[in-house]
Amino acid sequence: MTNFNWLLDGSIVGVYLLATMAAGLMVRKYVGKVEHFLVAGREMDVYLGIASLAATEFGIVTCMYTAQNGYEKGFAGATPGILMALAMAAVGLTGFVIKPLRDSGVMTIPELFEKKFGPRIRWAAGVVIVLGGLLNMGVFLRTGGQFLVLVSGLDVKYLEIMMTALLVGVAVYTILGGMLSVLVTDYLQFIVMSAGLIVVTILILMNVGWENLVNSVETHYGAGGFNPFINPTMGWQYVLFNLMLNTAAVLTWQTIIVRVLAAKDTDTGRKVYTRTSFFFVCRFLIPGVWGIAALASLGPVANSLEAMPRYLGTAVPPGLMGLLIAAMLAADMSTDSSYMLTWGSVIYNDIMAPFRKTRWSEKRGLFWNRSIIAFIGVFLLLYGLWYPLKGDLWTYLGVTGTIYLASISVLLIACCYWRRANSWGAGAAILISAVIPITYLVMEQLPSTANLAKTIGPYYSGIATYLLSGAAMVVGSLLKPQAGINLQARIA
Amino acid sequence: MAKHWFWWFMTMACVVWYSTVTIYVAIKGGADIRHMLARLDATRAREAKEEREG
Repeated sequence: MTNFNWLLDGSIVGVYLLATMAAGLMVRKYVGKVEHFLVAGREMDVYLGIASLAATEFGIVTCMYTAQNGYEKGFAGATPGILMALAMAAVGLTGFVIKPLRDSGVMTIPELFEKKFGPRIRWAAGVVIVLGGLLNMGVFLRTGGQFLVLVSGLDVKYLEIMMTALLVGVAVYTILGGMLSVLVTDYLQFIVMSAGLIVVTILILMNVGWENLVNSVETHYGAGGFNPFINPTMGWQYVLFNLMLNTAAVLTWQTIIVRVLAAKDTDTGRKVYTRTSFFFVCRFLIPGVWGIAALASLGPVANSLEAMPRYLGTAVPPGLMGLLIAAMLAADMSTDSSYMLTWGSVIYNDIMAPFRKTRWSEKRGLFWNRSIIAFIGVFLLLYGLWYPLKGDLWTYLGVTGTIYLASISVLLIACCYWRRANSWGAGAAILISAVIPITYLVMEQLPSTANLAKTIGPYYSGIATYLLSGAAMVVGSLLKPQAGINLQARIA
Repeated sequence: MAKHWFWWFMTMACVVWYSTVTIYVAIKGGADIRHMLARLDATRAREAKEEREG
């Protein structure tokens, strides 16, 4: 039994859903070209960029894995958020990679690779980005559904129907309005999501109390609950893996980088990065505190992923429950729409590039972009409902994300700053960074190799992927005896 | 609080920073949307005019 009141809380959720759908559909008339659809005509300004980036990078799935981190690791579980904020601020302040990327005027990262490494690498990079991204996104639906069912007290048999309806709604406005709909709905969703997150956090801090939260972490995890380096489930390898992962994500994660590409100029893109950086601490610490509150209130539970929603279902009063669910729906819808659009943009712009030898009309381009988003929606429904998640959610996302983050970040840095980098190095880096994480995921699923996968662990395999991918780029490029082409010259 | 001042400070900073930024971005972001749609409208009108004039 939860505190969800169908009349009061249901009305709040209903009004939010109607307002979002109306806003998303309203801007579809501004979409006349593929550039409007994919990067909002490059008209995005700083504050809309901040709202959109923050809303996109916080979904229910984010709330679930960060709360799980808080529940299982205490305050030390917020370490990835601090590392990501540092990386984001550093990149925004220096313009490292994002400046040459935005200056080049491309719509996707692989498009830039073609200028340096040729069309084959562009295509391969597109495939790797979509593979890593869609595997990553595949768990969003079920995890989001788990949260909503547990918090609202709805029968679990409605999970699939509820999430299908939500995805169809999001797909409709994304298909019609593209990036413009994503930006406008993200703005509304940012406000609703933030209001819910802040109010619920203040409620928890007042009800559970800071001392109780700290004592609970101390009792269950000792000093390791506050310091990642001495936490037995984390250690230096966890910190190093997350530093590499989050830096690579800041540089290449399609949903983050699209904000730079959609920005009206390079300075705007850099400001969006710098001013959103601290949000990434909030993104881990706020749900982390919710997870710690669940630990303090419920104690040990069988499924740590479900601890936070179970706790919120009874701790949040009616009225606020409606705001919480609207906030989480906002978080989920903004993430789903942006993810579908940005992975779709890579499929259209890069994977389908060989099939567009002659210039397509804007109408034809828009038709294909919309069809691709619909296809991604169908994939998410199928994959999201049958993939059995093993281990903790953040690690799964880290491992699947590494499939492309390692190679694409290496390629991007080399493309922007290393004259000698060439297609051999790029190909080798892509191969290495796809093979290691996929092998690890397969080993984890097979009974005969599951123990070996557990012994190696996701952090060492992740670190190895980043290091070997970089080494492959260097070795491969040096083996091909030709000078790389200076990107700056190409841009000029 | 004194023992784990770092996490206390980070938690409070999150609540204060996030509350402030939400209000600020809600106001400024709305203006950004209006300007973005106005610019797109103007571009569309200009392109339509150029097309008519050949």
